[in-house]
Amino acid sequence: MRMRLKLKTVFVLYFTVSLLGLIYALMQLGQRCDCRDHDMSKDQQISQLRGELQKLQEHIKTSELSKKTDVPRIYVITPTYARLVQKAELTRLSHTFLHVPQLHWIVVEDAPQPTPLVTDFLAASGLTYTHLYKLTPKDRKLQEGDPSWLKPRGAEQRNEGLRWLREMGAAAKGKEAAALEEAVVYFADDDNTYSLQLFEEMRYTYRVSVWPVGLVGGMKFERPVVEDGKVVRFHTGWRPNRPFPIDMAGFAVSLRLVLTNPQARFDGDAQMGFLESSFLQHLVTLDDLEPKADLCTKVLVWHTRTEKPKMKREDALQKQGLGSDPDVEV
Amino acid sequence: MPKRRDILAIVLIVLPWTLLITVWHQSAIAPLFAIRKVCHHLVKEILIIPERLTIHRQRLADDGTETRHDTGPATDSKEYCSQDKDIVEVVRTEYVYTRPPPWSDVLPTIHVITPTYSRPVQKAELTRLANTFLHVPNLHWILVEDSQRRTPLVTRLLRETGLNYTHLNVETPRNYKLRGDTRDPRIPRGTMQRNLALRWLRETFNSNSSQAGIVYFADDDNTYSLELFEEMRSTRKVSVWPVAFVGGLRYESPKVNAAGKVYGWKTVFDPHRPFAIDMAGFAINLRLILFKPQAYFKLRGVKGGYQESSLLRELVTLSDLEPKAANCTKILVWHTRTEKPVLVNEGKKGFTDPNVEI
Repeated sequence: MRMRLKLKTVFVLYFTVSLLGLIYALMQLGQRCDCRDHDMSKDQQISQLRGELQKLQEHIKTSELSKKTDVPRIYVITPTYARLVQKAELTRLSHTFLHVPQLHWIVVEDAPQPTPLVTDFLAASGLTYTHLYKLTPKDRKLQEGDPSWLKPRGAEQRNEGLRWLREMGAAAKGKEAAALEEAVVYFADDDNTYSLQLFEEMRYTYRVSVWPVGLVGGMKFERPVVEDGKVVRFHTGWRPNRPFPIDMAGFAVSLRLVLTNPQARFDGDAQMGFLESSFLQHLVTLDDLEPKADLCTKVLVWHTRTEKPKMKREDALQKQGLGSDPDVEV
Repeated sequence: MPKRRDILAIVLIVLPWTLLITVWHQSAIAPLFAIRKVCHHLVKEILIIPERLTIHRQRLADDGTETRHDTGPATDSKEYCSQDKDIVEVVRTEYVYTRPPPWSDVLPTIHVITPTYSRPVQKAELTRLANTFLHVPNLHWILVEDSQRRTPLVTRLLRETGLNYTHLNVETPRNYKLRGDTRDPRIPRGTMQRNLALRWLRETFNSNSSQAGIVYFADDDNTYSLELFEEMRSTRKVSVWPVAFVGGLRYESPKVNAAGKVYGWKTVFDPHRPFAIDMAGFAINLRLILFKPQAYFKLRGVKGGYQESSLLRELVTLSDLEPKAANCTKILVWHTRTEKPVLVNEGKKGFTDPNVEI
């Protein structure tokens, strides 16, 4: 008896619920059916959009994209040093830079004089460039077998780039000086990966702009934390108490700020991870940082590192005097 | 008695649901969704306006005042498609940062086959690869993912590059990925993906079509110079050139005699392979691929280093090879490998926001 009653109530309940659901759905459908006219206007919208699209595509074909001269210049300082993968790294970096308008590449070699490899490469690259060189003193240089994080790298070379910029800034007159007022300086290592959007984000920097960097600090990405449009702190897993716990690839400085602060430079003796702070703390406070990349929520640059190629067989051959032709540039 | 009641109960339970389903199917919902999709897609396309146009407009409006320009992110196309709005003036725009060179009717198309798989550096690798490909005219990128279905990351990336592309996917079965016993060694990575691309080419192009094409296998972590693509464009059957950083050497290269013919291989690792060359060291004319529809990379039982030979020996002989790159004396492609990033600070739970794409 009891069981039958329970089943009955369950059944009745179920029946009413499903009936109500069906009625509700039918009403919904009814509403949509009213929108037949809605559909018509949607079709119109679509054909209108198609027309717009065609018009714009025509416009694109005719407009000159490559000769943009009315945007602020980006000076990219890249320290580099001779190793097997150097030419490959510079090659793929140049492919990215060739897409960026008004980019001036400052390549600073860690060498006593310019090497033919880099000289020839830059001449053939098609980019606007400046080729500098500055040898790192022996005691600051990483030795064979040292882990890459032991000593800060590239400090002397970046400082040399800054010196050249300051020299050029002092000598510039008239239109050129006006162009430099809006220019931006970015430090790009030769093994990182840069998206094209990044350069457009950094182009309009008043003081120092910042954004997230992928694959750095032992994490998927490090980023400045933005609240109410201002940077309040940095989200990083490694030594977050640094003045600026940000990677070299995560900020850009306006040239104006570089020129008006001639004492700002990278400290080659700085502790591990404090290289960026040694430069930025002379220039800007946390409050003044300009967050980019959608208020620091998008990753537009990745701190990739390239493996050192295995040369065991090459080394063995060289011992026998049968190494590969050294005249062939790799 | 109870039996009839049961049947009645079952019928009454099922009836509302069947009604619902049939009505749903017949309704206008399906076409509406289609319209929505098209609308979204078109709005996104239109909002791709070259930077110059918008900056030009902004400059005219600003009168040259020194303000910080908000070079904006993508706009929300939902605004236009969900409501009954007229198309209003576009204020914020999505930028196309560059475009590939215009398509030429004369140049042979280079079909670049790239297998790829998900890992932290994937987006970075594909980004810089795309930046290189955007300089090459008449390039068709066939990107094959090693996944069960096409991932949104790659789909979005491909669309945003503006390249001419085909997006495929095939998942390498789990047991093939792991190391098996000696009789059944694992499939070299990317084999199934490359074979799928070859099959797609054979299904898409028929041998009678006049479409000149070259097929090149490009891994997503190597580095390619622009000169390489122009060298391979003149391939008649199979062309070869040196590759840096393979086989434990500075570079491996084919041996070319005075008559300009390949007669051997300058490698240390098994130079007696039929084709002792890396995947990045050769390109095949599309006609040859179509002419020999049975030629694929061998899946199983391939010794290390013999994968390239498994395909090439079905297509061509040593004497047919065309040496490029100044008779194989210049390095135009480097077999670089990217370090696996150290992600210790993510910890077990993950320190960073998983919704942010890297």
